[in-house]
Amino acid sequence: MAFGFSSRKEEPLYIAQSATGNNYVIKFDTKGELRVNRKITDLTLSDENGFTYIHYKKAKYPVEILEKHHNKYVILINGVSYTISVETPFSYKRKKRLDQQKTESKTELILAPMPGKIIEVLVEENTIVKEGDSIAILEAMKMQNEIIAHVSGKIKSIHVKAEETVNKDDVIVEIEK
Amino acid sequence: MKKETRKIQSLLVANRGEIAIRIMNTARKMDIKTYAIKTSKEPNALYLSHADEIIDFSESLEEISEFLDIERIIEAAKQHKIDAIHPGYGYLAENPYFAQRCDDEKILFIGPSPDAIYKMGNKTIAKQLARKYKVPLLEGSTGNVSSVAEAIKIAREIGYPVILKAAAGGGGRGMRIVEKASQMEKMFRLASNEAQKAFNDPSVFIEKYVRNPRHIEFQVLADQYGNTIHLGERECSIQRKHQKLIEESPSVALTPKLREKMGEAAVAIAKSVRYYSAGTVEFLLDANQNFFFMEMNTRIQVEHPVTEMVTGLDLIEQQIRIAQGEKLEIMQSDVKLKGWAIECRINAEDVQAGFAPNLGIIEKISFPVGKNIRIDTGIQEGSPITPYFDSMVAKLIVYGENRNKAIANMINALEKFRIRGIKTTIPFHKAVMHNKAFQKGDLSTSFIEKELTQLYYQEPDEEMLAACIAALDYAAEVQEQEGSNVDSSLGKDLDPWVLNKRLKSM
Amino acid sequence: MDINGKIFQEFLARNERYAQQFTREAAKTQHAKGKLTAHERIELLFDPGTFEEIDAFSLSADAGFGKSIKAFGDGVVIGHGKINGRLAFCYAQDFTIMGGSLGSVHARKIQKIQDMALKTGTPLIGLIDSGGARIQEGIASLAGYAGIFYRNVQSSGVIPQISVIMGPAAGGAVYSPAITDFVFMTNKTSYMFVTGPNVVKEVLNEDVTFEDLGGAMIHARKSGVAHFVYEDEENTILGVKRLLSYLPSNNMEDPPFADTEDLGFRREEKLRALIPDDPNKAYDVKDVIKLIVDKGRFFEVAEYFAENVVVGFARLAGHTIGIIANQPKVLAGVLDIDSSDKAARFVRFCDSFNIPLLALEDVPGFLPGLNQEHGGLIRHGAKLLYAFADATVPRVTVILRKSYGGAYCVMNSKNLGGDFNYAWPTAEIAVMGPEGAVAILYKKELAEAKDPKKLKKELATRYREEIANPYIADEKGFIDEVIDPADTRNKLITAFEALRKKHVTPPERKHGNIPL
Repeated sequence: MAFGFSSRKEEPLYIAQSATGNNYVIKFDTKGELRVNRKITDLTLSDENGFTYIHYKKAKYPVEILEKHHNKYVILINGVSYTISVETPFSYKRKKRLDQQKTESKTELILAPMPGKIIEVLVEENTIVKEGDSIAILEAMKMQNEIIAHVSGKIKSIHVKAEETVNKDDVIVEIEK
Repeated sequence: MKKETRKIQSLLVANRGEIAIRIMNTARKMDIKTYAIKTSKEPNALYLSHADEIIDFSESLEEISEFLDIERIIEAAKQHKIDAIHPGYGYLAENPYFAQRCDDEKILFIGPSPDAIYKMGNKTIAKQLARKYKVPLLEGSTGNVSSVAEAIKIAREIGYPVILKAAAGGGGRGMRIVEKASQMEKMFRLASNEAQKAFNDPSVFIEKYVRNPRHIEFQVLADQYGNTIHLGERECSIQRKHQKLIEESPSVALTPKLREKMGEAAVAIAKSVRYYSAGTVEFLLDANQNFFFMEMNTRIQVEHPVTEMVTGLDLIEQQIRIAQGEKLEIMQSDVKLKGWAIECRINAEDVQAGFAPNLGIIEKISFPVGKNIRIDTGIQEGSPITPYFDSMVAKLIVYGENRNKAIANMINALEKFRIRGIKTTIPFHKAVMHNKAFQKGDLSTSFIEKELTQLYYQEPDEEMLAACIAALDYAAEVQEQEGSNVDSSLGKDLDPWVLNKRLKSM
Repeated sequence: MDINGKIFQEFLARNERYAQQFTREAAKTQHAKGKLTAHERIELLFDPGTFEEIDAFSLSADAGFGKSIKAFGDGVVIGHGKINGRLAFCYAQDFTIMGGSLGSVHARKIQKIQDMALKTGTPLIGLIDSGGARIQEGIASLAGYAGIFYRNVQSSGVIPQISVIMGPAAGGAVYSPAITDFVFMTNKTSYMFVTGPNVVKEVLNEDVTFEDLGGAMIHARKSGVAHFVYEDEENTILGVKRLLSYLPSNNMEDPPFADTEDLGFRREEKLRALIPDDPNKAYDVKDVIKLIVDKGRFFEVAEYFAENVVVGFARLAGHTIGIIANQPKVLAGVLDIDSSDKAARFVRFCDSFNIPLLALEDVPGFLPGLNQEHGGLIRHGAKLLYAFADATVPRVTVILRKSYGGAYCVMNSKNLGGDFNYAWPTAEIAVMGPEGAVAILYKKELAEAKDPKKLKKELATRYREEIANPYIADEKGFIDEVIDPADTRNKLITAFEALRKKHVTPPERKHGNIPL
């Protein structure tokens, strides 16, 4: 049986979303032109002396891909970093729909991954943290381990203090998402 | 105080990074043999390769920093029969005990006398001296304030707003601004507690608070014979949490007459402790051309290059000569400030994350070059940025015939400064240079909060280009998955040996 | 045959009726949840025009309670096609038809495609999006599941089986993915649990959401059931394709070769700088991996679970390898229950499918404590030991830094059958770490010392230099060579090249008794 539907097109289209909320519709048309928000955009990349540059109009900016995880990027350009997620039209709509629903619980607990001693607590109540931020330093097995927030939100309460010993799965902080 | 001339043949630099290199460069020009200290935390640091001889402290298992280990340093200097020690800035530069130990061991300390260091190091004594020599001061308590009641009494006399400050240290800790009497009790407690924690001494004193002042400091130079001059001012108003980020010389706020008055005050302060060598007298300047003595730094400062650029002098060379007992060859009338210099301190900090330290390794670096550009740095490709030392990458100092040209040259230099491996404060410096208020010269110590809408500069189309790079990379990856470079037929060509074995064991 | 005649027209009309089953409204409902339909997913997964559906017209069985709904296909699409030019079989459950529920015909179709995949030695991919067993068909549904599980087990270790959860998977339905080799989940729109929130509420009076009970990140982080999680369905399917590109089609084949444009030798001096001088400072072992493998591309498996061990696929000179590496950044890189499980399963998979193994070792030991011991660390640690020892594929180890005690043995040591064992100059191989060893050996001296801390530090440094240094192991033959970190990639390429025709005949037995 033949399939009528096809989401693969000859002219791939992506919606690049920046963390600041700006969307850029990026399309590679059949003539090989790059269009950003419908405008033809002429840019080239070059490698010089260990640096990569992007050339656009009269500007020449050093660029670097700092991080890439699936379709999420952190791009460094002129020493400023931008978090960009590359979506297809479908995944873009999906993201919007899902962000509107809130089916998860509001408070996230950050637990101690192992027994040890809290060396330092790096946040305070009401500090805003991003996913990946350090919350505390836990010393165990003679090594210093960073306790990382695995969600973004606001520190609701801190359950430990420096010099305190903790067991595995003890609550370190509560984050309100 | 020694008055004989003694030629320095060898110099131990008790410091690291860019200032160690800076000192050794001048020493080399003066045919002085240089010694540097190697630590375990950065055994491959750039400054070590600038020294004639390295003294290895890296076996040290002590908890104390190598650059603070007074006895070890003195011992090393004696062992190698070194003539003089330059402490740089920070570490032992303003430690009167260290200067005294050098004197005791007949090692020339490149700096002032222990007595001058001690007196100017104590805020209360320094203020008393200023008062004695009629240098304008921020009115406040004479000595430390022992109670809230006393604080309220003094505050009523000098008028609000006032500021409580720690007697034993600075850097913003133990400081609280008090707008009215009802806040005094709370602020007094907070300031004392913080001072106790930071300096082990809860004593605070009280001072009139100037709103939005400019930070103006004067470079002074004096020989051991009492000849004291000033080399003009530096404006260091662009600060964040009391750390200087951008300095310039001269300052738009000073008329020649004001410069003369403030210069005289600076010289008076220096003379009050019979100061010799290089030093800096710091003032606050309010909007009505009133200036107030704050403190004196009895050492060479980070931002000294801007003064060197507009006066044409080598301050380290002057320090060495003075230590040798030479007479100052320059007269006050010889000192002319020509052109304009700006310094941007480029640190390994992430501006977008609130200037959080950005640790890592410098993978690649390309400095801007030009006749108006000076770079003072302690790092090179491969240098790590560690939490053990400060996060300075380089000082970028730029000269121009006038302030506008200096700013334009700085923007150009910042754009050409390339670095890979860590994030730096360059986008912050760009934001300031492009800022209209900065360009007009409307500076004050609250510049960053008041005038900068965004702490980092974004070149035109930056975000759009970042989005394109991400999309291009992702599209390329999808392409790769679709049209494969994977040849699965090659996995089917099995060696008969293997095939035979595999079949047998199934 | 007359194309305008009744016979041919009847044929066309029937196809039309099938297409009409998949209404726009139904697709819209699916889309509104951020999900694609079964046909759309297949479209994305297979190369254009290569998918051939079979049993499209199977009709649902009769059901009890008078609740019979007759649908063509019975809520699942099965067939075969090419994925990047390579044959693969697939079933995709269709949530728009009776909630994708599993009835007897639905199950029979899945079993049919499983049989075909097994017969032909072709990978099988299951796209799961189902409300579970069809209640009205009763035991026929349950028996259907059992038949699927049976075939999953028969195919285990024979063909790669991949489960992609793109919707609900509840109750017994979760056991099929559990048996398959890899589980993909799409974040926020897929769930797996044995007992749903409603029953949990009834029986235990606990309020839990779908997401908290069995959402994608829960299975990625906590239970370790999900090996891969993506934010949307398109990226999930891209991930499946990427995984397949590393794997052979069956257990008789070698993994495919890929022209990565990075097939040659390459020195990496940056590797020398990665290990910090302070042995208590951590680094990211993924940085080491990226510098060694082709194009720095590492396809990590189970990246959110048991992060103290890193496992995944990569290529060396175009050939697939499986990497198991201790991660010093997390829990100091110790081995514990979860990491032993994760690594052991990965080793077993690679061994089943002729994928050579590379172990990058920096492990100070096993995690101490009541939790671990009472949780059966002994059993679980033994799993990894067993998995390595039982593996007959080429296996190479590089000791990067620490290798203490039992963990030294476990991480593919020479006497466990490691083919090539290398060490970096920074390697420390010993019965226990310096601080612990010194505390025991010099107990008396330390008790009597004036400055015990300083003495301990000095003794520890001597211990590192004299007892734990890798040259002793080298001289005794437990290490084949101490290598310059910059040469690691090159050494590994030649090592695996030399081992390409390795074959070991396993002992004659039905199967061993791996501690479970």
